[in-house]
Amino acid sequence: MDEKKEFTPSIIYGLCSWCGTGGSETAGAMHLQYADNIRPFRVPCTGAIDPVYILRALIEGADGFAVSGCHPGDCHFDSGNYRARRRIAVLKSLLDTFGLDSERVLLRWVGHGEGKRFADTVNEFNDYIKEMKKNPLAERRDT
Amino acid sequence: METMIDSRMMMTDFLTALFDKLDVAGVAVMSKLPSGEKTAFTLFTGKDDIKECVPFFPAMPANAARAVSKFTRQAVPSKTVAVFLRPCELRAFTELIKIKQASFDNLLILSYDCSGVFPFQEINLSDETKLNAYRDAVSTGKNCEGIRPVCAACTRFTPQGEDIAISFVGRSTDQPLVFSFPSEKGLAAAEQLGLDVSNTVAASSAVESLAQERRSAEEELTAEVDASLSDTQGLVNVFDRCVSCHACSYVCPICYCKNCYFDSQTFEYFPESYFIRMQAKGALRFPVDRVLFHLGRLSHMGVSCVACGMCEDVCPVNIPVSQIFKTAGSKAQALFDYIPGENYDEPLPLLAYAEQELEEFED
Ligand code: SF4
Ligand code: SF4
Ligand code: SF4
Repeated sequence: MDEKKEFTPSIIYGLCSWCGTGGSETAGAMHLQYADNIRPFRVPCTGAIDPVYILRALIEGADGFAVSGCHPGDCHFDSGNYRARRRIAVLKSLLDTFGLDSERVLLRWVGHGEGKRFADTVNEFNDYIKEMKKNPLAERRDT
Repeated sequence: METMIDSRMMMTDFLTALFDKLDVAGVAVMSKLPSGEKTAFTLFTGKDDIKECVPFFPAMPANAARAVSKFTRQAVPSKTVAVFLRPCELRAFTELIKIKQASFDNLLILSYDCSGVFPFQEINLSDETKLNAYRDAVSTGKNCEGIRPVCAACTRFTPQGEDIAISFVGRSTDQPLVFSFPSEKGLAAAEQLGLDVSNTVAASSAVESLAQERRSAEEELTAEVDASLSDTQGLVNVFDRCVSCHACSYVCPICYCKNCYFDSQTFEYFPESYFIRMQAKGALRFPVDRVLFHLGRLSHMGVSCVACGMCEDVCPVNIPVSQIFKTAGSKAQALFDYIPGENYDEPLPLLAYAEQELEEFED
């Protein structure tokens, strides 16, 4: 087996309680398979994700961090997803400044009924992170 | 550009006139401390101590925006208070106005084109040699040796949003003050002060030559910081000495939070959680969460960083905090074409949004 295949990335998936989680439920109802090394966690809204959560995950061992919530215009709290997009843009800019890979953070809108989009996102991101290999920051003991 | 006038007034006359003719409740300005060596930003309520005032003294023992926010935050001063703010302090003040942590009602804001300051621990009132070199640099429009790196690389050294501007760069401090009045408030004050506005003077060419020097210094600084941070090793190295004292955020004018998230219970762990983390990585270096603190702080306030240099001035282990925050902050600001402190009407980027924007950050 080549090295790439052996590497199972650790990926955190922040899902809003409305669309993101809904998407994962739909995927479940549709019996869709997706990579099981993804650890979903639920937040009230993507707008409630402080970039510090993402930074902490990346520093403490995650190889990737995905965020999904309602499509623009569909946010349960009206504008939380637009705010999340700004925060993630800032975070990605910071990651690039500090020589970390901003591609380890993914933002993709997933609607409640989009079970397939959810499963595809997981698998696609998982493959992508496998290609990227381990997050060098996650291996540092001196952060 | 507003017309500059030669007021034929020396600083002490001007400060006296603020009390006598404008009837201000107070003047907030840098002043000498009784030790005779150090200075502090002080709010005077009478003119008795005017000879102790040194508005241009090249030190910033605290970002004055923080001080002025304290006495304007919840209630407007009942009478006009005149406050001296350096351009970066004024920008920080403007950012604080946007988040309702300060107000300019009943303030008369005085500012000037700034030649920079020394690290405040390194400059005393008795340092004649340094201060003479500084005066020369001011009058010729050059960076004085020894000023803080972020000052030497500061390209926004002319104030924005002040009521009265004093022309500083290219002038000599023992000559009468040259003013301009960019706001209605400033113009009204000029009238009340009885300033003769007939004697106009030209802007000094020293301002442009300083601007040029600053632009290339800024480019160099950015390139250096970028190079030092180019990979994970660089990032870890740069914060290697950090003792996690958080002093950099306590003095930051933008980090206004009464209870900083990084000082909250979230970061007080149960003992076993250290062991869990240690097991994951095979070791755990203390104090923990240093990189997290800096990157996290940047994610909170980087878009408003005005590069005032305070954080770096107080860092006990000489980490170039403000050079890093200036560099990382400007890149984040560029996402929104945002210049912190430029305009108090403009909302903070993280408190606003557009429905169609930043689609390149979606996948
Ligand atoms: S981060 Fe540092 S340079 Fe930036 S505003 Fe705060 S104290 Fe000033
Ligand atoms: S680091 Fe964040 S939480 Fe702490 S004071 Fe600054 S903005 Fe507030
Ligand atoms: S002041 Fe210096 S040592 Fe203290 S937390 Fe900030 S960077 Fe670290």
